[in-house]
Amino acid sequence: MEALLQLLFNGLSVGAVYALFALGYTLVFSVLGVINFAHGAIFTLGAYFTYFLIGGAVGANGLMAGLQLPFALPFWLALPLAGLGAAAVALVLERIAFRPLRDRGSDPLLALITSLGAGVILVNLIQLLVGAESYSIPVETLESLPVALSIAGAKVRTVQVMLLAIAGLLLAALSIWIDGSRSGKALQAVSEDPITAQLLGINSGRMIQIAFGISGFLAGVAGGLVGLSVSIAGPYFGIGYGLKGLGVLVLGGLGSVPGAVLGGLIIGLAEACVPAELSGYKDAVSFGFLFLVLLIRPQGLLGRPQANKV
Amino acid sequence: MVALTGNASLIGQDQRIGLELAESEFGGSTPALSVRLEDGGSDEQTATTAFRRLLQQPVVALIGPSLSQQAFAVNPIADPAGVPVLGASNTAIGIPQIGPFVSRISAPVSKVAPLSIQAAKRLNPKLERVAVFFAQDDAYSTSETKIFQKSIQGLGLKLVTVQRTSTADIDFQKPIADTLQTRPDLIVISALPNDGGNLVRQLREMGYAGLIAAGNGMNSPNIYSVCQRYCDGLLIAQAYSPEAKTAVNRRFVQLYQKQRGGTAPPQFTAQAYAAMQVIHEALTRLDRQESLRSQSRNQALATMALPELRRALNTILLQGTYDTPLGEIRFTPEGEVIQKDFYVARVKMDAKGKTGRFALLPNPSPATP
Amino acid sequence: MDAGLLEQMLLGALLGLSVYLPLRCGQLSLATPGFFAIGGTVAALLSTRLPALAGSGSTYPITSVLLEMALAALLTGVLALGLGRVVLRLRGIYLAIATIALVEILRVVTLNLEFTGGALGIFGIPQPFDSAAGYAAFTLALLALICWLCDRLEKTRPGRAMAAIRDDELAAASQGINTADTKLLAFVLSALVAGITGVVAAHFLNSWNAKLGNFDASITTLAFVVFGGSRTWLGPVFGGLLLTALPELLRPVGDLRLIVFGAVILVGPLFFPQGVITPELFKTLKRIMLRPPTPAAQGGKP
Repeated sequence: MEALLQLLFNGLSVGAVYALFALGYTLVFSVLGVINFAHGAIFTLGAYFTYFLIGGAVGANGLMAGLQLPFALPFWLALPLAGLGAAAVALVLERIAFRPLRDRGSDPLLALITSLGAGVILVNLIQLLVGAESYSIPVETLESLPVALSIAGAKVRTVQVMLLAIAGLLLAALSIWIDGSRSGKALQAVSEDPITAQLLGINSGRMIQIAFGISGFLAGVAGGLVGLSVSIAGPYFGIGYGLKGLGVLVLGGLGSVPGAVLGGLIIGLAEACVPAELSGYKDAVSFGFLFLVLLIRPQGLLGRPQANKV
Repeated sequence: MVALTGNASLIGQDQRIGLELAESEFGGSTPALSVRLEDGGSDEQTATTAFRRLLQQPVVALIGPSLSQQAFAVNPIADPAGVPVLGASNTAIGIPQIGPFVSRISAPVSKVAPLSIQAAKRLNPKLERVAVFFAQDDAYSTSETKIFQKSIQGLGLKLVTVQRTSTADIDFQKPIADTLQTRPDLIVISALPNDGGNLVRQLREMGYAGLIAAGNGMNSPNIYSVCQRYCDGLLIAQAYSPEAKTAVNRRFVQLYQKQRGGTAPPQFTAQAYAAMQVIHEALTRLDRQESLRSQSRNQALATMALPELRRALNTILLQGTYDTPLGEIRFTPEGEVIQKDFYVARVKMDAKGKTGRFALLPNPSPATP
Repeated sequence: MDAGLLEQMLLGALLGLSVYLPLRCGQLSLATPGFFAIGGTVAALLSTRLPALAGSGSTYPITSVLLEMALAALLTGVLALGLGRVVLRLRGIYLAIATIALVEILRVVTLNLEFTGGALGIFGIPQPFDSAAGYAAFTLALLALICWLCDRLEKTRPGRAMAAIRDDELAAASQGINTADTKLLAFVLSALVAGITGVVAAHFLNSWNAKLGNFDASITTLAFVVFGGSRTWLGPVFGGLLLTALPELLRPVGDLRLIVFGAVILVGPLFFPQGVITPELFKTLKRIMLRPPTPAAQGGKP
């Protein structure tokens, strides 16, 4: 029992991060049918924004060395603000890297490359401005909570449980919005068929902007939250999740929002099942699992069979 | 040539400061020496092009590259070209053996690593069960862990588990939970500052209270911001200690702090600085020697043909003994560094858990050359 | 120009062609870095472990390199034949992810195996050429050969079948084209090109490790093709040459160089949605040169 519970905790702990990362990632796919390679960079930005808003100072190596905001916000206020900042960047990105392609009806493959270019710019800009060193949100931020929970002998860090809970909350909020509101329904219509949606009087362009804004917000908040659990490991912080995040997305079903969370948890659990002697093969196990799922069920666990979108 | 972009840019960033400090310190005196910095990226391809670019210029010697894997790719190009290459951060076995023009001032892993295990044993004589973690995708860490494991067994300790992690990992819940079940008294980590620092923090948060010894890869003040107050008590094997009380090191620390504020210089910065110092001192001696022979003053080096200058520099460089911030160093004829002092430090964090220092442990065993 | 950079550009062009071949029949396969890594590992293992290949001269014999290439081609070809049957049932992004998953599995396995040298890799790979110029000449010949083969391919039946599948797979199938075999052919050819490119790269880089075939490499090589154009073999060649050279040519801008590089990748597709090199470009060029326009010879869309 204890071993099983520990296994579950181990899986949820890793899975929570994947799920958070994939939420915003999948939203853009569901609407545009393209993968936004700059998502990892926006996630990174969210982490840095949070760090600065809680009063963190820039290290010694960037152009902005030593800079610090004159005020320090509490974490719970800084986080949504960082999300808004990330959303603003995502909107700019949509305007520069995605909209011109859509206006011309270009091959969706191109968006992979333009967003890749945007990601390269963002990452190197971060390095230029604030350096490559790691930053961190003080461990004391959650001071009143115990650092780890122990249930029936199995242990897990509190912050990971919190990440998972927040991922669940965001998922619920997103689902309620998509299924329960006018704009959410309009978003669904656009993702099914943008041209018909346009004919029905839905402003597709605007809906896509909304999707990007929300996706950026989710990425930013995810970045800040993960930054609470681990250090912000330099400009490549979020890029490192790009590959696993993609795997999570596909496993859950591309474009399926609950699928993103489910995919994250399943990959986390798959990795948790690898015995210690084979710990080196952990990533091969998760990708092997993904590969098998693709062969058996190409649309992913919760995805619908889809036309040939890229 | 150092990594200014890509995921090794944290190393390159530290090295750049060391090179620039050394340039301002030694650049003015004769023979004048200046640094031509190129970004070697974090991959072999970028490093190759950057090296070739530098080889086409009138450089007397090369310092770099940042990573051992890059050294295996680029040093075989510089060696036949007859340009001395001095590695400032390559620690893998086999690098000085690439050729006569390849040498390094970064001590190989085999020298530094065992010291921290011995120190742990002194701190806790009842120590028995040891768990090992290493980052399997990092060349340094994979070599270091072999040395660690050998010396753990050499001391008669019991190796209870070996966990492979990756430098890209951030959540260590699973390997930690597995490890804690083996009830270790000491956990030994070979990793880089970021992943290693996160691992230390998570070990403590998950309730591990025993000793932790980290390898030389984590000997960087960059860990303070990663594991924060949980860094406290961490044992670290050092090829450079900012607390070493030599005049040269005090001067270096002072230069560093004048430019960067109160923090202590990282090992990569000290090693890059020392590499420049070694080249500068070798050139000075060469200058003196040539001046005596040709009896012209201060012009001796300028009149030498570049290939000849490079050859002479390489020869004289390997013969000298240098008093650097790393302590006294010299070279084997092959180009391997012989470093006199290694250290084991224990991290002491300040009350706020924001920054700390590497407090030297008493009686570090002198390394046998 | 520096011959070393030229060599890397040529290798980039070859990798571009490897991604291009499946894409020409509409298959987004990102397995190229995996086959590239296998080719490199084959060369690294054979040339450092088999004294029989070393020859008696001061340089490593070219015949041994050719032998390594043949073996790498055999290995990657057989592997691609087996894997292709399985993965090519997937489409679009799903195929891309499945191939990325394979590349990642290969990387992790290479890291863990003892005989591939773990994270440090295999080093001290012998040199068949004294200078980078030698490599460049050899690789140029290889590239020319493969370009010629691609050109032949595009003008023959399988090449036209590939283009037809790309335009509309169902229509192509109804015209009696064996779509599964055609796609498999493209996939295997792609693997062969990547495998032999890996052999050359391993010698050129003196060393080989697991990092050389990773996710980043998958995406970069895809950028070569999309940037250059994916409807004629000249597109990926151009993209590979240019995008490999660009970060190096941008060295004068110092710390800004990768930012400018990113901007070029971002802006390129906006101005050239079909890639820089398109069959139409040739037609326009020919018209400018006052020759009567000929029908598109490339077998792409008219």
